[in-house]
Amino acid sequence: MRQRRKLAATATAVALSMVVAACGNDSGSGGGSGSSGGGGSAEYNAASEGIVNKSDATGGTLKYVLSDAPDSMDPGDTYYAFNWNFTRLYARPLLTFKPAPGKAGLELSPDLAESLGEVSADGLTWTYKLKQGITYDDGTPVTSKDVKYAIARSNYTAELVNGPKYFAQYLDAGNYAGPYKDKNLDDFTGIQTPDDSTIVFKLKAPFSEFDFLVANPQSAPVPQAKDKGLQYQAAVASTGPYKMESHEVGKSLVLVKNDKWDPKTDENRKQLVDRIEVQFKVDANDIDQRLMNGQADVDLGGTGVQAQARATLLQDPNQKKNVDNPQTGFLRYAMLSTQVPPFDNADCRKAVLYAADHEAIQAAYGGSAGGDIATTALPPSVVGYEKADEYGFLQDKNGNPDKAKQALQACGKPGGFSTKIAVRGDRPKEVAAAEALQQSLSKVGIKTSIQQYPSGDWSAQFAGNPQFVHANGLGIQIAGWGADWPSGFGFLSQLVDGRAIKANGGNYNQMELNDPEVNALLDKGIQTKDETERNATWTQVDQKVMASGALLPFVYEKTILYRPENLTNVFVNPSYGMYDYSQLGTTKK
Amino acid sequence: MGAPIEVSSGEQRAAPEAVLAGAAGRIEGRSLGQIAWMRLKRDKVAMAAGIMILVLIALALLAPVITRALGTSPNDFNSNLIDPVLSKPKGSFGGISLEHPLGIEPINGRDVLARVLYGARISLLIAFLATLLSVTLGVLLGVFAGYKGGWGDTVISRTMDVFLAFPLLLFAIALAGVIPSEAFGLSGNGLRIAVLVFIIGFFSWPYMGRIIRGQTLSLREREFIDAARSMGARTPHVLFRELLPNLVAPILVYSTLLIPTNILFEAALSFLGVGINPPTPSWGGMLNQAIDFYRVDPMFMIIPGAAIFLTVMAFNLLGDGLRDALDPRAR
Amino acid sequence: MAAFIVRRLLAAVILLVVVSMMTFAIFFLVPRLAGMNSDQLALRYVGRGATAESIEATKERLHLDDPLPVQYGRFVQGIVVGDEFNYGPEVVKCPPPCFGYSFRNSQPVTALLIDRIPVTASLAFGAAILWLIGGVSVGVLSALRRGSVFDRAAMSTALAGVSLPIYFTGLLSLALFAYHWKLWPNGVNYVPFTTNPLDWAYNLILPWVTLAFLYAALYARLTRASMLETMNEDYIRTARAKGLRERTVVVRHGMRASLTPILTIFGLDVGLLLGGAVLTESTFSLPGLGQLVVDAVFGNDLPIVLGVVMVASVFVILANLIVDVLYATLDPRVRL
Repeated sequence: MRQRRKLAATATAVALSMVVAACGNDSGSGGGSGSSGGGGSAEYNAASEGIVNKSDATGGTLKYVLSDAPDSMDPGDTYYAFNWNFTRLYARPLLTFKPAPGKAGLELSPDLAESLGEVSADGLTWTYKLKQGITYDDGTPVTSKDVKYAIARSNYTAELVNGPKYFAQYLDAGNYAGPYKDKNLDDFTGIQTPDDSTIVFKLKAPFSEFDFLVANPQSAPVPQAKDKGLQYQAAVASTGPYKMESHEVGKSLVLVKNDKWDPKTDENRKQLVDRIEVQFKVDANDIDQRLMNGQADVDLGGTGVQAQARATLLQDPNQKKNVDNPQTGFLRYAMLSTQVPPFDNADCRKAVLYAADHEAIQAAYGGSAGGDIATTALPPSVVGYEKADEYGFLQDKNGNPDKAKQALQACGKPGGFSTKIAVRGDRPKEVAAAEALQQSLSKVGIKTSIQQYPSGDWSAQFAGNPQFVHANGLGIQIAGWGADWPSGFGFLSQLVDGRAIKANGGNYNQMELNDPEVNALLDKGIQTKDETERNATWTQVDQKVMASGALLPFVYEKTILYRPENLTNVFVNPSYGMYDYSQLGTTKK
Repeated sequence: MGAPIEVSSGEQRAAPEAVLAGAAGRIEGRSLGQIAWMRLKRDKVAMAAGIMILVLIALALLAPVITRALGTSPNDFNSNLIDPVLSKPKGSFGGISLEHPLGIEPINGRDVLARVLYGARISLLIAFLATLLSVTLGVLLGVFAGYKGGWGDTVISRTMDVFLAFPLLLFAIALAGVIPSEAFGLSGNGLRIAVLVFIIGFFSWPYMGRIIRGQTLSLREREFIDAARSMGARTPHVLFRELLPNLVAPILVYSTLLIPTNILFEAALSFLGVGINPPTPSWGGMLNQAIDFYRVDPMFMIIPGAAIFLTVMAFNLLGDGLRDALDPRAR
Repeated sequence: MAAFIVRRLLAAVILLVVVSMMTFAIFFLVPRLAGMNSDQLALRYVGRGATAESIEATKERLHLDDPLPVQYGRFVQGIVVGDEFNYGPEVVKCPPPCFGYSFRNSQPVTALLIDRIPVTASLAFGAAILWLIGGVSVGVLSALRRGSVFDRAAMSTALAGVSLPIYFTGLLSLALFAYHWKLWPNGVNYVPFTTNPLDWAYNLILPWVTLAFLYAALYARLTRASMLETMNEDYIRTARAKGLRERTVVVRHGMRASLTPILTIFGLDVGLLLGGAVLTESTFSLPGLGQLVVDAVFGNDLPIVLGVVMVASVFVILANLIVDVLYATLDPRVRL
């Protein structure tokens, strides 16, 4: 079916997450590191590095299309990267990412708050001051209580399950029952609001990257009186430059200008177009077609065009200049389960790393335009990334059978062994990658059979369930990961912290790596206030993980975005790995 | 039939054939089989279809030999033949060349001919086994319901109603999606084939069941059955000696016509992504892969599509020929 | 007649109960037999940020720990007397027939069904008219000119039509008509009839023709066979002997008798199609019941699956009933 991928996506809200993109160092896409930022013109990959069609022209309508339906348009209940980007049009969190291309886009900028957070000496208290004069679209002023309420509802209720639960995890809130069961907000002691413009977060333990947590749309204020729980997404109270005119959940959304938004309080957004229309559930191939025909302006998902359109675009020089090829911040990889023999032996794991044909695997993800061959656990777009290539993937792009055989010798299986590759059957690229891996492993005597599982239950029942993995001998598992915020901790904590392994399923550390040194480094890093020192710790974690041989990184994913010529102020915000939706305008009236 | 109103598509479609078995059986001298064979031999189209099916089966069985002779294999990559940026085969018509007569797959450059040949093994194997299962179930339950009547008939007929009222594809998807990697002492593709055969066969038995039940009902009232019964023949004797031989014709015709349906069913499941495990090729799976490339590499869609089309058509032609041969009135 | 209809309706209700129970059993039992516990079931709906509390809360909210009969009872209760749904700060009434709420996005299933039925109905009825007219006329002509070039060509085409998978013809027609010749440069996008009848028809032509081609082929073959059989009957010979014009013989006597069974099958096929246009809708990405239910099956969204299966079964049963009544009206031998 044409949209099988779409079907799969329905079941995998899980897999799409906050993504972080390249700063362009070795992305092979040419150009500098995005410091230019000038009013560039349409060129191949121009919007990955700078701003294309800079303009202050106002008016017109922007048409967004999405191949899927989002988990929710409620800023407090979504885990899609594109929605963390898009909801900013009508919801202002305390902080947000700078609207800038290149590295600058990874920096945080005050939004609802006056400045970044102030941390207490013991690291347990974070304080933010709200800007004056910010109101909802009905004119009611925003107070710090509304921010507190927003975080309470998104983290402490049974109904809003889609978003991350970091506040519940890190705030010192005792046994708070959540605002739906306990209507008295004062019982929520994890956040305090001494006055209407001050908000104080109380933590269980020091957490040096707390600013990143409040850049999540969950900190956008919600007036308690207007909260309808799961139905709130139908009519969100707006603080941004646009407000909802109509919203048919799962079908369409129309945003119009919010005249109560004051640009003087907001340096992060523009209010150029008159109207924004979003249509959900449009076939992915049709989306590409519409973009190229001028019937639509932006693919909301930001995941790039399909193979059909890709070939058409890249072959045609007139079209190629309207194409961007940024990194998405996702790492695609295979995990080797350290609890499944013979992968309990590090040398057996390394044999797989040496034998893998990286170029064939890269081809499965769409070749050089689909991703760069990965050599580290952290993608380049994350702070803490340091270039490294312990196993020489880049020298031996088609694998190094000699070293693989040496490793097999060392692990006591000179003739090779048999194992299973688990893969999400409804992800064609991952299936192709599994086939490529299978081929290259067979050359050194490692026989594999490929097992397909539906992505809907992938982490709950199959690859993320250690019991199942052990019982079925799933030695190799193919998956991918994007960071919730662009730091080593934001990327790695769920993947490599051995204490976070969930015995009953829902596990993302599918290699079951439980290295005390790695765990200790993670703890040390997140309590380190000094940024440089903290980021150096993330590099160490990366090196330790790679040394274990349990992670076989495939590619730093890249995507092919089509940039219609009428779009103005187009650039890729690396924090989201797609165009920055808060800045777009159009020349079409 | 108890109430003539209880028509269903199965019985209706069976109607023209409902009489044929008995009619042919009455001709003296030659057996039913001989007459049918004579008629079939005169039907050039059906014979051609039959020969084509034999060739297909031979090709499927000999797939390893053929691919070895051609120096290809269904799972070997030819990455050097793929355009690294566009992921599609270099050259035109899906990379057709002397080494790869039907071209190569996008992304990894596997040989399409080899994959189509190996895909035939899977398609035919599953279709045959599933047909066997549904025919067995359909005949047993159909004969039982038709011959015994009473509450047994009611239960079986209503069960068939339920099955026919179901959107079967959905259940197939739901079931196929949760196949464990090991069960019943089987694992990997062995288990997957078994489950697919079960799903397809189990969901298509009512079509056969209805036809056989209808036939049995009409045969039950006929003189020779009455005669056998009045002569004190026991039920097994009546069923196997008197009834079953007269059911051979419809069973044969409808089995032949069920095979292409089942080929399409398997292809649809693979197409929806719940078929056989990769890298084992199947036709539906190839079509599924082609979705991403059909506009830039149409050959990759056309070839597995043509394979399905030709196979299904051959079985349909043979089935038609068989029906004509066994039914003098349609000629 | 009235008694017959009452009896049939009663049987229909029983059939619906059985179908829903089987659906329930399959979707409820299969994952549990495959070894999933309620925690893992809840994980399906929680997402990447799952915590022990959110799993527990989800289990409770979706009643995943309740035994099968209790869950089934709640489903029936919702349809008969309605249900309530907790949106968080407030509880909302769901009037009967309430099919519950999506496990994924908490939308009421009844509204979703009402939203999707027009799409599938548009697809099914448009295609049905095309294939009935096309298939029957070709079949009749073929039968009357048996052995002619037309007959051979039509029957060969029909055979090809029956042998082609619909997703293949669908993709092929999209590739050629929509994209190569740019007749539908933006692909097929459903537009409601009430919004713009012309756009509605324009966007549905390709699916209609693709779907109709498959069925027309089938109907041409059936009609031809049925027609051939009828035209050999004694009463046709009698009619001819009476000196009736050939046209009258064919239309008044031949077609009437041979089309009765075709009509029967037609009713059933339309009924089945309304619930089962899965592959067509998928190929053309039409947002109908078929696509809704495939999404739901892949997303483990049981309430939606149940809702669609129930609607589909109702269509099949209704079609059965209509066909039976029609049959009795058309065929004097049948009494109800």
